[in-house]
Amino acid sequence: MMSASLARIITTKTDLFRQCCLPLLLLVLSLFLSACTTTTVDEFRQGETGIEAHQSIVILGRRQGSTYETREEFVTCVGERVARGTEAIRVIPEKEFIDSLFPWFEPRTAPLRTSDLQVLMEEPLVAQKITEYGIRYIVWVDGQTETSNRMGSISCAVGPGGGGCFGFGSWEDDSNFDARVWDVSSFASVGTISTDSTGQSYVPAVVVPIPLIARVEANACSSLAAQLQQFVNGG
Amino acid sequence: MSVLNSLKKLGPLCVALLLSACGANSVVVEGSYPSPNVRPIPLTLGVFFDADLQNFSYTEYTETGKEEYVVASGQTHMQLFNSVLPSMFANVVVLDSLEAAPGAQVDVVFAPSIEEFQLALPQKTRLDAYEVWVKYNMRLLAPDGAYIADWVVTSYGKTPTESLRSVEAGINDATVGALRDLASNFTLTFRSVPEVSEWLETKGAGN
Repeated sequence: MMSASLARIITTKTDLFRQCCLPLLLLVLSLFLSACTTTTVDEFRQGETGIEAHQSIVILGRRQGSTYETREEFVTCVGERVARGTEAIRVIPEKEFIDSLFPWFEPRTAPLRTSDLQVLMEEPLVAQKITEYGIRYIVWVDGQTETSNRMGSISCAVGPGGGGCFGFGSWEDDSNFDARVWDVSSFASVGTISTDSTGQSYVPAVVVPIPLIARVEANACSSLAAQLQQFVNGG
Repeated sequence: MSVLNSLKKLGPLCVALLLSACGANSVVVEGSYPSPNVRPIPLTLGVFFDADLQNFSYTEYTETGKEEYVVASGQTHMQLFNSVLPSMFANVVVLDSLEAAPGAQVDVVFAPSIEEFQLALPQKTRLDAYEVWVKYNMRLLAPDGAYIADWVVTSYGKTPTESLRSVEAGINDATVGALRDLASNFTLTFRSVPEVSEWLETKGAGN
């Protein structure tokens, strides 16, 4: 029979493990359990940039393509990251901007060239709204994440004594995004930032499936946002 | 005894669940539509929504001919027109019937109708998107019922498939996208319809 003091020591040690070691172990595991990603960022500058504290930018997704459309979540991710940090820029949320300027930035009506923007700004209601928001740059994000090379299979079974999975699966993700920056004050394109991020994800399963997911789109988002922030600030 | 009573209470619920599993899934489209930023035409518009538009629903069938989804979009169409038209005209009067127009002091009567509605589901098209395509007939009449203009407007909306999004939510979002497309297309092309343009000239509201 276990004495009360020994039981207390074991309980205390278990609590100590839960409080200190378990989060550390989970952190280490999560670091090992994420697959590798390669990201390349290119910048093509066509003009001088810079932004005042009272000015803002809007990041919009291109949705004119018939085969794909830029995901709203990716655009939001880039916007949130550009609005963070020591060089933060005021970013108008995409949905708010599109609704506020309805119907001029819908997939069918949005300006495709800077000359279209110049024509659009001749509409007094549009010009007034853009001035009210203090928008200096419009950033058009265009791209998608494609999954290819799916391989392997995982089988799972459940019985009276329990269940489990066995097998192996893998796939490759490739995120390609362009951000074209338009200067609203000069109706000119001032540059393009491109990001290409690839990564292979794996899911080995021996009783329990262990997903090793490559965070391809998240890496594309953070790389694009960091470069865009620097670009708009004139760096 | 109490177990029997509980089973009796659960019985109708089980039957209802079984019956609901056999029937078509119903999608009542819900969305919000912003008001367009356009210069209003300085005229009074009477708008008439007929019963077919107000109660419009589309039924998608399975490959074996069974009802799969019933998409009810009549009420959301009302909501869309009630949001768009007041921005396009100085005054808008909703008419109960076309016969009520002469007494309603309106300059013109607008009567939209849906001619065709198509839904494309990812499980059938093998594409990663829900798509909706709608064809409308727009009629513009004088208060006495005389013809002014009659034209066709098409709209398209799509939304990508996502792992945690239900089919109903996908259909809803694609339909709302199509309705926004209708609103933007209708608002920006209204003045350029030849008969409408001519009529606006006669009313001194051409530009």
